[in-house]
Amino acid sequence: MLRAGSSPGGRRSAPVLVWLLPTVVTAAAAFAAASAASAAARTGVLWCGAVGTAAVAAVAAEAARRGRALVTLRRQYAEQEGELRRRLARQEAETVRLAKVALPEAVGRLQRGEFTEDVLKAYESHDGVTGPEFQAARQAVLRTVLEAVDNEEGMRESAQRAFVNIARRVQAIVHRQAQDLREMEDRHGNDPAVFDDLLRLDHGNALVGRLADSIAVLGGARPGRQWSRSVPLYSVLRGGMSRILDYQRVELHPVSEVAVVGPAVEPLIHAVAELLDNATRYSPPHTNVHLTAVEVQTGIAIEIEDGGLSLTEEGRARAERMLMEAQAGIDLNDLGETPRLGLAVVGRLAQAYGFQVSLRPSAYGGVRAVLIVPQELITTAPATGRAHGIGIASGPRPVTPSVPRPAGGPRPWGSRTMAGIPAGSSFGSAAGALPGRAPADDEVPVVNERTANGLPQRRRHAAPSRTGPAKAPGVPQPAKAPVQPGMWLAAFHEGVNGHAPSTGAAGHTSDESAGKGEQ
Amino acid sequence: MSAPGQEWDENSPERLYVITRGRSGLAEQTTFDLVTLIVSRSEPEPSMQPEHAAILRLCGAPLSVAEISAYLRLPISVVTVLLADLLAEERIEARSAVPQAILPDRALIEAVMHGLQKL
Repeated sequence: MLRAGSSPGGRRSAPVLVWLLPTVVTAAAAFAAASAASAAARTGVLWCGAVGTAAVAAVAAEAARRGRALVTLRRQYAEQEGELRRRLARQEAETVRLAKVALPEAVGRLQRGEFTEDVLKAYESHDGVTGPEFQAARQAVLRTVLEAVDNEEGMRESAQRAFVNIARRVQAIVHRQAQDLREMEDRHGNDPAVFDDLLRLDHGNALVGRLADSIAVLGGARPGRQWSRSVPLYSVLRGGMSRILDYQRVELHPVSEVAVVGPAVEPLIHAVAELLDNATRYSPPHTNVHLTAVEVQTGIAIEIEDGGLSLTEEGRARAERMLMEAQAGIDLNDLGETPRLGLAVVGRLAQAYGFQVSLRPSAYGGVRAVLIVPQELITTAPATGRAHGIGIASGPRPVTPSVPRPAGGPRPWGSRTMAGIPAGSSFGSAAGALPGRAPADDEVPVVNERTANGLPQRRRHAAPSRTGPAKAPGVPQPAKAPVQPGMWLAAFHEGVNGHAPSTGAAGHTSDESAGKGEQ
Repeated sequence: MSAPGQEWDENSPERLYVITRGRSGLAEQTTFDLVTLIVSRSEPEPSMQPEHAAILRLCGAPLSVAEISAYLRLPISVVTVLLADLLAEERIEARSAVPQAILPDRALIEAVMHGLQKL
């Protein structure tokens, strides 16, 4: 207070001096002039001096006043300028924050699935430092950007959905076609020329199917089909082989007798197919690709080794980066003009199902891809599925024909087939068209002379005396025991050739049937 | 998609051309016909393709090609290809069905029939 009071006082002395000094000087000059002038002129000079002094005093006073006003104004301006600068700085800071922090965060939240309005609310600022107009403008900017991003996301999503939808439709058609082709293959199985054409069509169909699967997977969907039962690993690997162009170059080595649980079957087939496709595509056409699977601590390691060019460290890094990127999620737009879908698809599948994929230089000089299927996707329980009715469930283990079939053991498929086939349930007439094999084992088979694909079908043998001993001992069998395959024909030959039906033949039959039971 | 998935379940993921490695049996057609009898000459080995092993197991007793095809549920052409492989490795023996010449003459049978009827 004291300072505020004293400061104007101190200031006032200088301007007073400023307007007093010219006045005093002018007055002194007037007096000097008056004293120097003659008496006659003195009055005039005095008047002039007085008028001059007064004028100087007035001008000086005015100048001083203006000077003071100027100082005040300057001070006010300085204050105002400071204030404006501070506001500008705040606005700048706010804009920078908007650009560097708020917008990216808001877009990120939007991409994580939050609603535009919620995000906008979260980024309203109430600091009161910046004006309401600025706030409104800032929110408008935020809203415009977020809405644009939201639209874009929506469009991309719908585009992806459209992709997946189309892929699904293609998958359905391919699947239908595969079934039809299989039926035709059964029907025309005894005409090699037609069969050859059918096989080629079937192969092309499988390739189309894989492409559709790839698009579906990249679109974030599952691969097409689902398997409710576990499938033997061998069948899965061959399933992968059937979906690539150069399957003849793939050499499948014996694999351990495990099965893959249903939900993982289709993705594994697809991943193996893509890796095999890569291997066959990037190795010379005359080299083989080795496919094998071994048990490891964490599950099953499927190895695919080719004899192509070795992977440079850079190439390997690029491939692995592609796998990693695919695991993080893939943008269909990033695939480019000539998409190399393979690794992206494998990466996507690996991420979804917990496969581990690695690419290493191979000892053969090519690339060695190892896909590890985690233990929980593997089952050692005998798979119900069979590789085309024979496969791995029965396994390639040697059979000792003399061991009788254990009573109550799993029913050998042979006996079921014997009852099933004459009824025309599955083979030939329409594979898969009749779900479930309808005829029970004890049903009397209807005689069909020929199946749809021209196979002669056996009439039930009319001479039970010869087939009687064919029952395996100790095994509950249907009252009408199925005839041992081939035996009646052998007996027929014996009859035709004039030999009496020997008991040895019967004994052989029993052994043989026991041997079949082992399977 | 679940309904077709269920249907598909009945089948196997592998296609027939993988089993035959692309061969369709055109070349093998002459060796086997539907009634050729097949007998295995050796035990199946673990390193064999499962289909080969299954044929060897099945053919412990003579079995016609048609029957093998029915049991394996594979078309004749596929079976023929597989059999040709096994035959080349001498793991099976193929016997043609009863040759025409061994069968008694039709006229002779008719003569016997008539003779019997006259008795």
